[in-house]
Amino acid sequence: MLAVEGVSAAYGRLEILHKVSLDVGPGEIVGIIGPNGAGKSTLLKTIFGYLPPFEGSVRFAGDTLAGLSPDRVMRQGIGYVAQAGGVFADMSVHENLVLGGYSLGSRRAATAAIERVYAQFPLFRARAHQRAGSLSGGEQRALAVARTLVVKPRLIILDEPSAALAPRFIDEIYATLAALNRSGIALLIVEQNVRRILDAAHRIVVLDMGRNAFAGASAELRQSDRIRRLYLGEDAG
Amino acid sequence: MSGLRVRTLAIAVLAAAGLAAPLVWSHPFVLHVAIQALIWALFAASWDLLSGYTGQVSFGHAGFFSIGAYTAAILTKVAGLSSWLGMTAALLLCALVGLCVGFPALRLRGHYLALVTLGFGEIVQLIATNCENLTGGPFGMHDYGTFTGLPSDPLAQRQDAYVLVAAIALAGLAIMLTLTRRTNAGPAFRAIREDQILAGSLGIDTTYYKLLAFTLSAGFAGLAGALYAYYIQLVSPTVGSAAASALVIGMAVFGGIGTIWGPFLGALLLYSITEGLRFIGVVYNLIAVGAVMVVFVIFVPRGLAGIRLHRRGRQQRADRPAADAAS
Amino acid sequence: MVEEILEFLILGLVLGGIYALFAVGLTLIFGVLDIVNVAHGEFFAIGGYALYVAMVVLGLSPAVGLVLATVVVFALGLVVYPLLIAPLQKRLGRRAPGPLFLVLTLGLSALMQNSLLAAAGGEYLKVPPAVKGGLDLSFTFVSGQRLLILIVASLGLAALFLFLRFHRQGMAIRAVAQNPAAAQSVGIPLGRIFTLTIGLACALAGLAGGLIAPLFSVYPAVGFTLTIKAFAITILGGMGNLLGALVASLIIATVEALSVLVIPSEWQNAIAFGTMILVLLVRPSGLFGKKQP
Repeated sequence: MLAVEGVSAAYGRLEILHKVSLDVGPGEIVGIIGPNGAGKSTLLKTIFGYLPPFEGSVRFAGDTLAGLSPDRVMRQGIGYVAQAGGVFADMSVHENLVLGGYSLGSRRAATAAIERVYAQFPLFRARAHQRAGSLSGGEQRALAVARTLVVKPRLIILDEPSAALAPRFIDEIYATLAALNRSGIALLIVEQNVRRILDAAHRIVVLDMGRNAFAGASAELRQSDRIRRLYLGEDAG
Repeated sequence: MSGLRVRTLAIAVLAAAGLAAPLVWSHPFVLHVAIQALIWALFAASWDLLSGYTGQVSFGHAGFFSIGAYTAAILTKVAGLSSWLGMTAALLLCALVGLCVGFPALRLRGHYLALVTLGFGEIVQLIATNCENLTGGPFGMHDYGTFTGLPSDPLAQRQDAYVLVAAIALAGLAIMLTLTRRTNAGPAFRAIREDQILAGSLGIDTTYYKLLAFTLSAGFAGLAGALYAYYIQLVSPTVGSAAASALVIGMAVFGGIGTIWGPFLGALLLYSITEGLRFIGVVYNLIAVGAVMVVFVIFVPRGLAGIRLHRRGRQQRADRPAADAAS
Repeated sequence: MVEEILEFLILGLVLGGIYALFAVGLTLIFGVLDIVNVAHGEFFAIGGYALYVAMVVLGLSPAVGLVLATVVVFALGLVVYPLLIAPLQKRLGRRAPGPLFLVLTLGLSALMQNSLLAAAGGEYLKVPPAVKGGLDLSFTFVSGQRLLILIVASLGLAALFLFLRFHRQGMAIRAVAQNPAAAQSVGIPLGRIFTLTIGLACALAGLAGGLIAPLFSVYPAVGFTLTIKAFAITILGGMGNLLGALVASLIIATVEALSVLVIPSEWQNAIAFGTMILVLLVRPSGLFGKKQP
């Protein structure tokens, strides 16, 4: 469904990604891990259109994404949840969701979709008029996810969904993501919390210094000594 | 001889020829335009020292020019000072004012700094217009005389004035270039322009250098103003108008922000061209300046100065025009 | 004495309405694009010229004239982003050094003002008031034009605030001002929103220009002083804050109006400049602002 092939990208003269490839099949959960500075976030930004790649191709369901701006990429059916600051902090929860439905056209068209999201996330119905910036970190993350759901994406890209969250909220987020995946939405997740993503994902891609290091089914990688030593510490069990 | 030496020699010869031309030609109008062009050139270079080179963009620089002009006029008229003393006083007073303006500017950046300098310029103009006892009000001052010691024959006077103004303007340019190319101030200014916070953390005393830039820039602008006062022999509030500030920025953009010699040259050329175009109609040359600013900022960011540098490899990050200035 | 003060207060409110239309638009552009539009005064001037052409040259009614002024300037404003700002942004990236965009709009201002001068000449053109007569209050007489300004300015500003609050595109504008990356991720096209924002802001300026034309006269530089005052107003209110711009407009206008009682009128403009410098020194974020200088 999503096919990234040989993508290279740079910030100015600083090359971050060197011929990176990965793919995500329909309904799959793919995790991206790697050391700091490996270019994981940059890869997501390149796929979603925040940063144009200077070589390689990005295809989604056959259509080329490379070179499209993010507002056009999302219309292909992809949602994006940023690492931080993903919600409109000065707007209410409800307004955030209304904006989530921006691409549907009129506000009226979005109303039914927003209702659906409220049904999935009853927490937000109660807080509909609360300022989004006053929500807790975990709730803001959930709001950002909920917002992408208004337009029924086929794939959601998440940049470190567990970042700066307490374990309880991480549980909730990942439970939500699992439920979304069961309903057929594919997920591409960059994660620092390797343990979590090994559990949640079907496949893992490892990036190092902007290049593909290795990849495989997460079940395999869970057994791999190398991964355990590098990312989970000697005592991983 | 190496390529660089040939180039330098060629530039020197061209410059000398260009400077000598108005004298050789000795047509009064040509001298008239050339003198004013040199005054604007010094003014533009002074603006660039602060705004292009050090990155502290000033939108009210004509305020310093105006203070310099009025200082010279008032001192000569009221205290009978020679033009030498008048020019020196103008330079020193403006440097002091620049230092004062620099203090609040320390905390401000970008738009805010530009707007506060704009406010400064407007206040100077307000004072010039309203304090009639001091400044002669809206009609200005005109009876204070010209450069001391010039012959009375009009053409000879103009020729001597030309030599004087050229010498002072070039000296000013030389000082600014020496300062930025040969002392520690140059790299410090550039560091402040690129990234103030980083510069500070590298141990550069940003406060000192920013104030230095303000002081010097204001001083030279004031000197240019004094030259203007003594040559034109009429000083009025429009000398410090926002339009004048805008004009000097336009000249700097044309010449190449951040190089100091670029704006100097840009002012020389632009002023000469627009004065020459005056025969078409006063208004069209001002339209041209506005158009130049718009077009150059978008499409020719390095101005004239950039055209002469050899092409670097294709840069993916669009540098700010001043980023590659000064080697 | 009280009557005098009340009279000046009303004048302050009327001027405040004009300042507000102007400054709110300027703030909108700054909040959404991070650009200070130095040429805003020229759009204001064109509004006045459009009204002049409509009423004096074409003999149309004042209402049509005002609508024309607003629409013409709106159309002109729509052109600014795609033609001038987008190319520069493309070359430099959106978070480019602000001063460079300032220079761009400064150049645009010079270009527009001198073009007006060339096209229309420098005379102060007179426009008849839209509404004759007025309201006779016990302590003063408020002319119909002034009342019109108060009413139309209030309606215009109210319409703008409602649009921004409830309309889909208005919400999109707010979204882009707050969080451009997130706005893109929900499908909001930045370029189109930038274009719309500048168009709207200029439309407000044009409306203000048309409203005040009978009082100020129409000439190329008519917007200049207002532009500089508007800078002071936006800084006082907090750059990027619309409500702040509105409040600050009323404050500055009323203080200016009342100041005639205390200081000579030729120093009136110094109030705005002085306030700006004072605010920048003491509390740069202004009354309501959040963006730090």
